[in-house]
Formats: sequence, C-alpha cells, structure tokens
Amino acid sequence: MTRRPAAIDDESLIAALRLAAGRDPVPGHVPATARAAFGLRLPGAATALPVAAPAPRDVRDGGEERLLRFTTAGLTVDLEVTSMDGLVDLAGQVSPCPEEGTRVEVRTPHLTEARELSATGQFAVTGLPPGWFSVVCHRPGQVPVVTSWTRIRP
Amino acid sequence: MSDQHTIDAALAGDQAAWDTLVNRFSGPLWSVARAYGLSAADAADAVQGTWLRLLESLHTIRDPGRLGSWLFTTVRREASLIGRRSRGERPVADPADAGGFRPGSSPAEDAPDPALLVLSADEGRRLWLAVEAMQEPCRSLFRLMATAPDAGVHQLAGRLGMPSGSYGPTRGRCLNRLRTMLTAQEAAS
Repeated sequence: MTRRPAAIDDESLIAALRLAAGRDPVPGHVPATARAAFGLRLPGAATALPVAAPAPRDVRDGGEERLLRFTTAGLTVDLEVTSMDGLVDLAGQVSPCPEEGTRVEVRTPHLTEARELSATGQFAVTGLPPGWFSVVCHRPGQVPVVTSWTRIRP
Repeated sequence: MSDQHTIDAALAGDQAAWDTLVNRFSGPLWSVARAYGLSAADAADAVQGTWLRLLESLHTIRDPGRLGSWLFTTVRREASLIGRRSRGERPVADPADAGGFRPGSSPAEDAPDPALLVLSADEGRRLWLAVEAMQEPCRSLFRLMATAPDAGVHQLAGRLGMPSGSYGPTRGRCLNRLRTMLTAQEAAS
C-alpha cells in the first residue's frame, strides 16, 4: 500500500510559484539582519517562555499598554510594554527578586541596553525601536535566563 | 557541507556556518511569508522572527534533515500571526497567540511537508510547466499573481477582467486544479 501524496496548501503553492518567477526577491536587509542575529545567541541560557498575563488595559493618554509574562524554573519576568510616538518603553519586574549584582539586558536585533536590577527587582528601558526583543537576566553564578523572542509593533 | 555539519558548526559558534543557513533559506522563507499576504515590512518581521527562533532552538534540532521543515513551519506560524494582527483580528499579545509553540518542539512532525515544494528549483519549474498547460483564466491569474506581488484584489481582478468578488473564488478553483494536476503527475510517474 502506498501513501497518497500529501495535499499542498494554497500558501505553499503561491510561494513556490512566486519564488520560481523571481519577481519578488528577498530584500538584502532581511538576510543581513539574520546574519547579524548570530551575535545574539546565548549558549547554555535557560529560556523563559511566554505564559498568560493579565489582559492589557487602555491608557488615557492615547498610548497602548501590554502586559507580558515569561517563566522558567524559579524565575518570572513580567513586562509592561507601552508605546509612544512609534517607540517602545519596557518596565520589568524579575521575581523572586534575584540577589544583588543581577544585570538585565534588553536586546533587539539592532541594539542592546544593559541595566542594573533595582533592590526590588525592577528595571526600565525607554525608546526602543519596534520589532523583536528579548530580555536576558544575568544572575551571579547562575546560567542566564532569556525570554523567548517577542514582537512588539505599536 | 551537510546540514548536520552546518548545524554543529553553528552551535560551536561558527558565523560562516550560520551565514550558510541564512543564505540558503532566506529567499524561500520570504516567499512563504509574502504568500500569506504580508506587506514587505511585515514579511521582514516574520522572517526575522523565524531566524531568532532558530537561534533559540538550534541545539534542540536533533534531525538535521528536518531543518527546512522546521524553518517553514515556523515562518508560516509567524506570518499567520502577524497577518492576523495586521488585520486587527486578534489584538492580543503574540506569545499568547503562539499557544502551544515551544522552542525545541518539532512542529512539522506528522504534517505534509510543503517546504520541499518551495525549496526545490525543479519543483518550481514543474509548477510553471503545469500552469502554462492550464486554460484561462487560471494561466493569466497565476502569471499576474506571481509578477505583481503587491497588487490588491481590485487591481488583479480588473486586469483579469472579472468582478472583484470573483477573484478569490476563482483563485481558489485554479489552485485546486493545479493541485489536482500535480497529484495526477505524481501518480503517473
């Protein structure tokens, strides 16, 4: 008995036709950014995965707010995301509050911002470009915890 | 260099090995993202997100033969999420949208593998040979669809001389016919 060939979905047919036609090639900046992203790898880091967070609420000044939560064994990163004028502000809380000397990095494919964690486990970064970002938590003597890449487009 | 060697080298920190993967798959991934109707900016986000997820998950890909499938499943998921968000259908956080997606899972384990169709230049040529053998309006519709990726439905329908409301259903019928032709070819070979 032979297996019937699997049905190919519409999008794959369209993609294959267009790719072969060669009229919509990938813009050069796309692979260039992907090549540069290799510098963002963190071998051995523990990945904090997204879990359900409280629903976003409207903010009166016209901005938009989102709450995101990422967890891994023993550590939760909560992020409050606001956007103004096309840029993104992040306010974060790491819990349980890690020991002194913990450093946080907010990374995008284009820039990385480092912050010392406050005594209560908080940090903030403002004016990030919209797009993909991830937060790394470097605790002294432990493997880094990194949040799964998330896209923010105001 | 085999996929296994390339993945091993990238895991060991070899930028050139990573570049090999990026150079090989970026074009097809872009075409898949665009096939979901994404703008160039949104398609760039979908492809970029796919590479960032691979960076997270590279060490968990045990079967290098499935790397292409993994990338395609991931870009389809990202493109579908971004498309829904852009159309305002699901104004919630991306991670919640992602549902069961976990870095390290093998999304395409049991699904058909459309990646092979998109990845192989031979398959692309075979598709166009089939299209050229089709009757109107399908032949013109596919030619137009492939050469005017940013055209809207109104524009495409106008150039095909059909009402806008007919474009979607006609395209669906033409895609079904093309699929049937491919299946018949496979059965005959």
